[in-house]
Amino acid sequence: MLKRTLMGAAAALALTAGMASAENLRFAGATPALTMDPHATNDFTTTAIFRQVYDSLIGLSLDMELTPALATEWDYIGDNTWRFTIREGVQFHDGSELTAEDVAFSIMRQKDSRFYRSLFGGIQEAQVVDATTVDVISAGPDPILPRKMSRMFILSQAWSEANDVVEIPDLGAEGAEAHSIRNAMGTGPMRLLSHDPSVETRFEVFADYWDELPGNVTTATYLNIGSGPTRVAALLSGEVDMVVDLPLQDIGRIESAPGYTIAEAPQMLWMQLELDGTRDQALETFDRAGNPLAENPFRDTRVRQAIAHAVDADLIADRVMRGKARVVGISSIPGFGGYQEDLDQRWETDVDRARELLAEAGYPDGFVTTMNCPLERYVNTDDICRAVASMLARVGIDVRVNGLVWPEFARMLVNGPDSSFHLIGMGPDSRDTQDAFTGYVMTRDPDANEGFFNWALYTNPEIDDLTRTLTTTFDEEEREGLYRDLLERARDGVNAVYLHQPMIVWGMRGGVTAPIRSDATVTLQNVVVE
Amino acid sequence: MIALIAQRVVQAIIVLFVVSVLAFVLSTQIGDPVASILGLQATPADRLELGARLGLDQPWPARYLTFVGNVLQGEFGVSYITQRPVSELIIERLPATFELAGVALLFSLGVGLPMGIYAAIRRGHWSADAILSLSVVGVSVPTFVIAILLIFFFSVTLGWLPSFGRGQVVQVGWWTTGLLTPSGLRSLIMPAAALAVSQVALVARLVRAEMIEVLRADYIRFARARGLKPRVIHLSLALRNTLIPVITVSGIQLGFLFAFAVVAEAVFQWPGIGLLFLQALGSTDVPVISAILLLTAVFFVAINTIVDLLYAVVDPRLRAGGMTGRPAGA
Repeated sequence: MLKRTLMGAAAALALTAGMASAENLRFAGATPALTMDPHATNDFTTTAIFRQVYDSLIGLSLDMELTPALATEWDYIGDNTWRFTIREGVQFHDGSELTAEDVAFSIMRQKDSRFYRSLFGGIQEAQVVDATTVDVISAGPDPILPRKMSRMFILSQAWSEANDVVEIPDLGAEGAEAHSIRNAMGTGPMRLLSHDPSVETRFEVFADYWDELPGNVTTATYLNIGSGPTRVAALLSGEVDMVVDLPLQDIGRIESAPGYTIAEAPQMLWMQLELDGTRDQALETFDRAGNPLAENPFRDTRVRQAIAHAVDADLIADRVMRGKARVVGISSIPGFGGYQEDLDQRWETDVDRARELLAEAGYPDGFVTTMNCPLERYVNTDDICRAVASMLARVGIDVRVNGLVWPEFARMLVNGPDSSFHLIGMGPDSRDTQDAFTGYVMTRDPDANEGFFNWALYTNPEIDDLTRTLTTTFDEEEREGLYRDLLERARDGVNAVYLHQPMIVWGMRGGVTAPIRSDATVTLQNVVVE
Repeated sequence: MIALIAQRVVQAIIVLFVVSVLAFVLSTQIGDPVASILGLQATPADRLELGARLGLDQPWPARYLTFVGNVLQGEFGVSYITQRPVSELIIERLPATFELAGVALLFSLGVGLPMGIYAAIRRGHWSADAILSLSVVGVSVPTFVIAILLIFFFSVTLGWLPSFGRGQVVQVGWWTTGLLTPSGLRSLIMPAAALAVSQVALVARLVRAEMIEVLRADYIRFARARGLKPRVIHLSLALRNTLIPVITVSGIQLGFLFAFAVVAEAVFQWPGIGLLFLQALGSTDVPVISAILLLTAVFFVAINTIVDLLYAVVDPRLRAGGMTGRPAGA
């Protein structure tokens, strides 16, 4: 307790020292922050911006581990119920005190959002037990709810009522703009000064913040500069202090410019190739003479393994991604709940082995297929797809790359899914390995909320059963065993050909120190400007 | 005259109708707005519900009629992505684009006019040929390349001009202007110059051709014979008649600059209509896309109609016959 007080005093001192120098940070990114209503979008750029103003119920440390934030403790108390203890003495930016009612109100508001169905759709009710306790009751057991709560944003109930934004602003609604789109009332480290989506979002430090403020930024401005070369020019000319979406080709230029530094961290997303695991005949797949194949080759595990051995993810990370990627070997990444470092070994690149496997599977001459490739949204997908095609050509699989702009690609998946082979980025919302399996690996059954994002219809009944066990297991040790078993099975059966995690790369001028976090949030309270 | 006006107005309405149908059909083809809004994670029930709310479950002719009905009432709908009324978004962005296009027009006239006059007077001289060749280079280099070169020279190397944005703006009623502050003016120079470069050649060549034509006229010969100074002949007598077609072409140029500002706006992050359009396109924001396409069409058609009518006022021969006597430049 004493230690805490001392630290608080030190922080207060540091803060006053910082205030005196009134440091301003101007940072620029490629996409605009759409709205300040934290429940009206799950766009990751926008989330990274409104996170300054709104605290999540459970916090995230710089290495993406859960930390106490507005909730200081959380326990599973049985009956599908998690009990959260709410921090005392937390203030909203208007000076009013955070109450358990605000928390319950925010949970009920966000759980109804269309954008958070996969995260919070299972929540039935948030009950205020007493002034500092809130119970969250789910429809079924949810062992990873705390991790999901790092994306639950708390806003003021009184403010929402006063400004007529109790309901989330609805799309396609008639009439005027909702108040919460350009105004905010949270408990976060920064206060919103103004938000103009087309130009800039301005913040001011919130001196009465409940936590320490290790940095010295007193005001900050987020600017949207869509064009890559212009963003880099703005950094080099000193018009902005920091750029959060540094184009790959300009990284070297910034690194070598005197006085500039870059920071990088793997993104909470990995790229993978998905292969049709269900259809009797794969779409757009033929033998060398152009006749349809008798069977779907991708359903044969040997063909999947052959593709895994033929595609050299290291080479792609090295060349196409210019080293700004981390190769992935299992269906989970560091920072995720249940990640297993010792299992994270990707299939060896072995062209001869791949040819053998194809011959064993009955395709000694290979076959011809089409790979659907999203052209934007992820980094350098166009080049990744072409590299994969040339790597598969070495083992006799001729791939025609079918490039699609993102809206077209998304339409193909959500209205079908109509793809037997594609590249896609995988970023389970809750950041737990369990979610990777329930959302992306289980046999697709949207009605049961299983395998919703399993767009290539991979199926493995054993994985389905084990995953169902995992979702109802609360014992940590048992869970660990299940995670390991699942990750190994998925890798051996090649549920997908994992490639890499792209890096988030920030460029900053000398004198700016901003710790990078894998969810791409600039934690303004930690930024030091000299 | 009344018949001519009626004819032009009917033509304008037909063009607008065709453009609005095209804009609408196009916006149904560029992707699935529901998938763009909700991402991949929405449940089928959510998608159906949102689709129905946005009226996307109806066939496009029915949606088109609703769209036109709303537009006629001045109602452009709400942007899917920013969740703000489209009319508000456009009104916010219009001043930026108008100021950019207007200043770019001034630049192109300010540079193109003297170049054209010089090239006409010194016809055949090597310096006149050089000017013409240079103007071809200006047309050939794409606007975004010029823009990036300008940024790297004037922002990064010299540090004189801001590389992005509008600088400080002043609110005059609903209009925001960057013309009244030093930072606003400095921000305007590079985008306007980049946009103007391709138009300079057009103006220079038009002025040169018209001026050469005029210099052949009898009244210029008589003026020469009277021994008037070349300066007076060129600048007071010849130029005045040269300018008539230039002024009409400038009107059309303004339309082009308005529509093609999109490239300069994208590079300089100029918060105008073009940038709004690009952002809307990237996120399948159909109401914004349709409204901007329609607005641009209205703008073009209005300018063309006015120019046509002005010609009729200037040249009585046109009043009866319609299009036949219209110069190629217009």
